Amino acid sequence: MKENKSILKKITDSREASLFIVLIVLCVVISLRSPSFMTLKSISDMLKNNAVIMIMTLGMLGVLLIGGIDISIASTLAFSGMSVGMLMKYSVVQNTFLLFLIAIGIGALCGLLVGLIISKGKVLPIIATMGFMYIYRGLAYIIANSQWASAENLGTFKDFALGSVLGMNNVIIVMIICYIIFFIVMKWTKIGRMVYAVGSNREAAQISGINTSNVELMVYTVMGTLAGLCGALAVSIYSSAQPNMLYGREMDVIAACVIGGVSMTGGRGSVAGALLGSLILAIIAKALPLVGIEAIAQNTVKGVIILVVIVLNVITQRMMDKNNLKGREM
Amino acid sequence: MAGKSGRTIANVPEKSLKKTLLCWEGMLVVLFILINIFCAGVSESYQFQNVLREMPKYLTEMFLLFPMAFILVLGEIDISVGATVCLAATMTCMASNNGLPFGVVILVCLLVGTACGLVNGLILTNFQELPPMIVTLGTQIVFRGIAEIALGSGGSISLTNADGFRMIAGKAGIIPYIFFVVIIMAVLFSVVLAKTTFGRSVYAIGSNRLAAYYSGIHVQTIRLIIYTVMGFMAGLAALFLTSVLYGANTTTGNGFEMDAIAMAVFGGISTSGGKGRLIGGIISGFTIICLRIGLGQINMNPQLILIILGILLILAVLLPNISSRLNVRKKA
Amino acid sequence: MKKKLVSILLCTAMVATLAVGCGSGNDSGSDSNTDSGSSTAASDDAGDDDADSGSEGGGSGTYAIVTKSAGNPFNEKTADGFQEVIEAAGGTAIVKHPEAATADAQVSVIQSLISQGVDSICIAANDENALQAALEEAMDAGIKVCCEDSKTNPDSRQVFVNQAGVQEIGQALMDAVLDISGGEGQWAVLSATSQAANQNAWIDAMKEVMEGDDKYSKLELVEVAYGDDEPQKSTDQTQALLAKYPDLKVICAPTTVGINAAAKVLQDEKSSVKLTGLGLPSEMAEYIGDDDDHSCPYMYLWNPIDLGRLGAYTSMALVDGTITGAEGDTFTAGDMGDYEIVAADDGGTEMILGAPFKFDASNIDEWKDVY
Repeated sequence: MKENKSILKKITDSREASLFIVLIVLCVVISLRSPSFMTLKSISDMLKNNAVIMIMTLGMLGVLLIGGIDISIASTLAFSGMSVGMLMKYSVVQNTFLLFLIAIGIGALCGLLVGLIISKGKVLPIIATMGFMYIYRGLAYIIANSQWASAENLGTFKDFALGSVLGMNNVIIVMIICYIIFFIVMKWTKIGRMVYAVGSNREAAQISGINTSNVELMVYTVMGTLAGLCGALAVSIYSSAQPNMLYGREMDVIAACVIGGVSMTGGRGSVAGALLGSLILAIIAKALPLVGIEAIAQNTVKGVIILVVIVLNVITQRMMDKNNLKGREM
Repeated sequence: MAGKSGRTIANVPEKSLKKTLLCWEGMLVVLFILINIFCAGVSESYQFQNVLREMPKYLTEMFLLFPMAFILVLGEIDISVGATVCLAATMTCMASNNGLPFGVVILVCLLVGTACGLVNGLILTNFQELPPMIVTLGTQIVFRGIAEIALGSGGSISLTNADGFRMIAGKAGIIPYIFFVVIIMAVLFSVVLAKTTFGRSVYAIGSNRLAAYYSGIHVQTIRLIIYTVMGFMAGLAALFLTSVLYGANTTTGNGFEMDAIAMAVFGGISTSGGKGRLIGGIISGFTIICLRIGLGQINMNPQLILIILGILLILAVLLPNISSRLNVRKKA
Repeated sequence: MKKKLVSILLCTAMVATLAVGCGSGNDSGSDSNTDSGSSTAASDDAGDDDADSGSEGGGSGTYAIVTKSAGNPFNEKTADGFQEVIEAAGGTAIVKHPEAATADAQVSVIQSLISQGVDSICIAANDENALQAALEEAMDAGIKVCCEDSKTNPDSRQVFVNQAGVQEIGQALMDAVLDISGGEGQWAVLSATSQAANQNAWIDAMKEVMEGDDKYSKLELVEVAYGDDEPQKSTDQTQALLAKYPDLKVICAPTTVGINAAAKVLQDEKSSVKLTGLGLPSEMAEYIGDDDDHSCPYMYLWNPIDLGRLGAYTSMALVDGTITGAEGDTFTAGDMGDYEIVAADDGGTEMILGAPFKFDASNIDEWKDVY
């Protein structure tokens, strides 16, 4: 009896667990209306199609953890993706591995620049990244020069997203690797601790000897690197590079984090939460056409679900706090 | 490291700080003059009446700037205003097409906007833990979604009777009416923010919310009022936007929120709250509008214009930071 | 008190600079603006002025084309065609892209063109209705307005250069579905957004064609899905169609982004479902072919270069008064032949470029490098 209680308590005490329940409820409701949802293929399709958002959620987790925000990522993605596409189109570089490195490099540089402006120039993150959102998107248009890179130009590069290892799609493998690395880094390494420390209390972190501006710089560089990687991935997944790629989708990434319980004021949030948050968004996107909601109402439904989930988050949090208080009183 | 505590001090009108603030707005005026001379130099058609004629569409975004400045001073953000404009414009067109008298149409427009703002405000004040950015992201999707449903297939509506709107879009001499409305609103909002208890409370909340709360300021009431006013102004913007469009569609008002925020930030209003004056935002708003009109007239690549705006935005915040740091070093 | 004084000073400075800045504009610019009674009259003046200076140069005036958005090869080719014809005739062509694919952004572009005093505007409208105020103002200022690619409502245009008749497109696509499906079975449509006027007109035309003839009676349209012209959402929608309807035979995607995403999904999954619709040859080259390795046997589109060229000839004819945009007007569009203006469904007038062009395995290699 006592053990039962502690398990129950553990579940209600953890944000991730309550999210997990939301996730399961969502899945059950959807599979009731559409049996084809819960098949291996459908889930693998969903993961592949949302890999880009899910990977970038990790970077955003880091950024939000130190109390920052980055709305330039979709533009960074378009810039790196478009660069890769153009390199392929004009047959400058054909090697898939090299192209990925180039995309990651471009992303890292973009992120580094954002990080420098924010950490050394003391510009507020939302302003700096808003500026770079325009700049990188503009650069993507300029290097594209009104051309798109299509499937035909992309040769072997697009095969990456088709290939699989041990029955698992390459894209999904890349995503899982990213998640594992982040999980380990955030949970067990000094770097992860430093990020949390800076986010929870910057002054305290500073006094205890952490170079906060370097942590900030690192976080934005990592974000840019991931966005660069996702640029290459997106081009490979959709076999097409267009300068308006993922326009406005940075908000989805931020929403995924917040749904996953990451605090926008910093210091709170976990890789598991980010995973669950982005999964919930992915499931919504996948399920809306499947369950047969009128196309015209899909956006409204999506918005309402996001609002409901974050409000539920707050309510559970309040209940948790209340319970904790009760426990103390007793 | 000046943390939250540093900001409260910054609000006490000290002489040196006042100077730096003045300096920023002074710089903006200089920039405004330079940009006008530059535009007049590069574009033959950059003339008084042409600029005034092109301005109304851009001026609709200025309506959003005023309340947005309040929200930014609070240290918050509202990214749902573009969608509010879309929903209000849609409802306005529908009301007008249903044959309602023009006065009622205006009322509908303002009411829809106010209602949207009220929804934001109610969610945010009842669930104070929620970050405004995420709530307004959610309502943004919902408001635009409702407009999509209302517009139905086709996604676009035209005014069958645009007489009333023609009147609004009219001019006194060569100056469009909207110009006067903007000036009146600018004075009104500036005075409220700078001179009234309400305005001081907004600064207090933005500097240190907890301290403001303990000193007896009704934090949540003030937030609710500001978000509702934001909605009202979005309605007003929708009214004038309809008068330059004669219709609405699902993309109406796209990106208005970012433009309004950019104007405010460029004018020295900090998004971390507690800092900035509306006059700066207003001058920067006119500066950006003139730059856009001028560069548009020489047919510059629109993406290049956006890049220039992005660089200006970053420089606008970066330069004062660097110069103030240099000053500190000099003093030391 | 001091503060008040400062803000008053700032305001005066602002107004003064506006006047000064514009004053210097008057000096460096033309001298046509002594009369500033009404802005329409003024821009009319400016327009005439420009036309005059143009004719002194030996050619005709200034012609503008406004595209739907920047960075899109289709729009770029249309603009290229437009520019080529105008410049060959000795005029000045202005190509304007709006900063976003919205009607709002196009309004600013039109306003700017009115200030520049162009002679004509040829526009691919992002919205049927929301450009009316701006285009009416342009026409009041003496600027000729025609539309290409997607039209505005009749009040805000003089004539619409239609790439292909709605009926013809509906018929061609319906016949393609009939042919590819083998005469019977389930089929679905993957469109852009549920509000895209073009898309809806074509889909409605297809439905009409399907109901109008018995030979389509064994075809069943199971769903119209919307991918919002986003690759990710279009992919989701295509996969959802495949999951929901195991017996699906054909998907018809009359939108370039949608057809691309669907082709990719079908080809990667080696699905037996086939695809047709409207798409860019350069984007679709990889997927077009008769065998099972390719997902799209054939598709249709019009020639964007010709569309731009016809837009240019129409603009010039409107400016020199050969046509007024009324029904029954005819004119010669250079080497493209004669065109007649006919009544359009919406009460305005239009001219039709021609039938949609079919791209299949035999000609795709030839076209994929063109556009």
